[in-house]
Amino acid sequence: MTEHQTVGIVMIEDDEGHARLIEKNIRRAGISNGIRHFTDGGTALDFLFNAPDGPALNGPALILLDLNLPDMSGTDILGKIKAEGSPLRRTPVVVLTTTDDKIEIQRCYDLGCNVYITKPVNYESFATAIRQLGLFLSVIQVPEIEA
Amino acid sequence: MPETRVKLTTNNRPIGRVLLACMVLGFASLIAAGFAAAWLTGQNQEHTRWVNHTYEVELAIAQASIAIEQGETPRRGYLITRSPIYLATYRANRAKQPEILARVARLTADNPAQRANYAKLTMLVADLQRQRDLTVSLVEQGRGREAIAEFFTETGARRMNKIRAVARQMADAERRLLTIRDADQTRSLRAFYIVLGIAGLILLFVAVLSVMTVMRYTRDLTRSRDSLNTLNETLEEQVIERTKDLSLANDEIQRFAYIVSHDLRSPLVNVMGFTAELAATVTPLEELLARAEEIAPDIVTEEARLAVREDLPEAVGFIRTSTQKMDRLINAILKLSREGRRVITPEPLDIAELVGTIKGSMQHIIDERGASVSVAGTIPTLTSDRLAIEQILSNLIENATKYLKPGRPGVITVTGVEERGRVLLSVADNGRGIDIRDHSRVFDLFRRSGTQDQPGEGIGLAHVRALAYRLGGTIDVASELGEGATFRLNLPKILTTQDLKA
Repeated sequence: MTEHQTVGIVMIEDDEGHARLIEKNIRRAGISNGIRHFTDGGTALDFLFNAPDGPALNGPALILLDLNLPDMSGTDILGKIKAEGSPLRRTPVVVLTTTDDKIEIQRCYDLGCNVYITKPVNYESFATAIRQLGLFLSVIQVPEIEA
Repeated sequence: MPETRVKLTTNNRPIGRVLLACMVLGFASLIAAGFAAAWLTGQNQEHTRWVNHTYEVELAIAQASIAIEQGETPRRGYLITRSPIYLATYRANRAKQPEILARVARLTADNPAQRANYAKLTMLVADLQRQRDLTVSLVEQGRGREAIAEFFTETGARRMNKIRAVARQMADAERRLLTIRDADQTRSLRAFYIVLGIAGLILLFVAVLSVMTVMRYTRDLTRSRDSLNTLNETLEEQVIERTKDLSLANDEIQRFAYIVSHDLRSPLVNVMGFTAELAATVTPLEELLARAEEIAPDIVTEEARLAVREDLPEAVGFIRTSTQKMDRLINAILKLSREGRRVITPEPLDIAELVGTIKGSMQHIIDERGASVSVAGTIPTLTSDRLAIEQILSNLIENATKYLKPGRPGVITVTGVEERGRVLLSVADNGRGIDIRDHSRVFDLFRRSGTQDQPGEGIGLAHVRALAYRLGGTIDVASELGEGATFRLNLPKILTTQDLKA
């Protein structure tokens, strides 16, 4: 990410603990972008598409998405983001979830997810994975939003 | 779902028994009728013989009468003509008489009344004959005159009448007998016909009964066959239906296991993550404590020292081991549920070769534990999933080497037999055995049996059973404590993809 300050990270994760651990490890990788955290799909979608400071109306973003959410399935959110005509369809989405089901992974890529990462249960691996994701985030290019 | 129950007809047995009894009775009557008819035929023959006898007697009497009458004609001829022709005829006739009379005597020997008549007859005949002989001999001597005088004086005609009367009497007696015997004969004949008629009726009855019995049994057989056919036809449907239900239930369980394990994993990530974070905080705290001890020992309390150096690391350690164990258990469930989702690919397997491979892969463990693994006899070939069978057998063999009886070298034998389209594989050991109470428990997840002196989570046999079910098979154990155990795997000889859930 070349324009560090302008790319916001939107994290949709229902588990506060996971969110905290993810944030900690992303920070440890040296990523200082702002992270907005949502614990349910409805609020997150509202922010993404409608909020004045949200990515649809205000600059590029990167989305970290968990598939197991209380109010809706993560794949539904993914589908809405990547839908034809969506202003966010080019926004990179990293699915970060506990599910390692083959079919689920296929479905996510079919829907247009850019990266799929399974959360390792072992914390060492978890921390390593997230740090590596952080390093990855620091080098990828995020497209501008076409209003 | 539609239930098809077909009952085989067994409720008409009493009727069948009655029918059978009737038939036996009918045949017995028929045999009795046969005997009666035979006896009556004998009787009839006897009667006929007697009737014939009577006719014979009548004939004999008539012949005797004729002979006696005929004797008179040549005598008179000779008396008148003195021609030797008459004399010869007279002599011939006379010579014939005793024989004819003897015949009458012989035939009437059984009848006292006739005997008396016969005595009278012979006396009269003898008298007559003497008179005749006298006249004839007078003529021969040339005393024709005397002979004719004699002829005139004799009472020939009277005597002749008497003889005729006696003969008639005898004939009448015989005729009476004939009437009686005729009646007897008619009676026995009638009895014979009656018996014959009855026998005919019985025969008809038995025939009808037989036909009825045969028809009844044929009908029963047809019905049974139809029932069996229906059963056969619906059996497949029922099996398919049940299999569908079963695989639905199985799917449900798989899904459940999967969801549960995932949902359990999520909080576990937190527990483990924050425990690691907590553990990481110990280092700066430790450094702080060390520096405090160095710079300002008076502010370091014993409590703080204990908290940082002992309580905190101990708590973190316990949390770590527990969460690691929980992680292993959840992973086991996940592995089981994943195994259920794996695509099964049946292929022909050489079990002996497979056992050899397994043996090779765990040779160091087998040697270390002092056991030997062998295949006894020939094992029938099997078409099934290679990986699943390999996992089942290696689990069973590994278990067998694990639970040996101390002081007894382990002998593990794999055998196999084919039985009605299925293959029974057995893995037998001479180890410590399993208590009968635990025979079904050992296949449950996280359950173990006997002394807990070996590492393990109680997953292996649960996995084995899940795999066996997956392959359309079953598994059980035969064992006694201290006497070794035999795990028996029952698998379809040829696993088709239709046997698996769609």
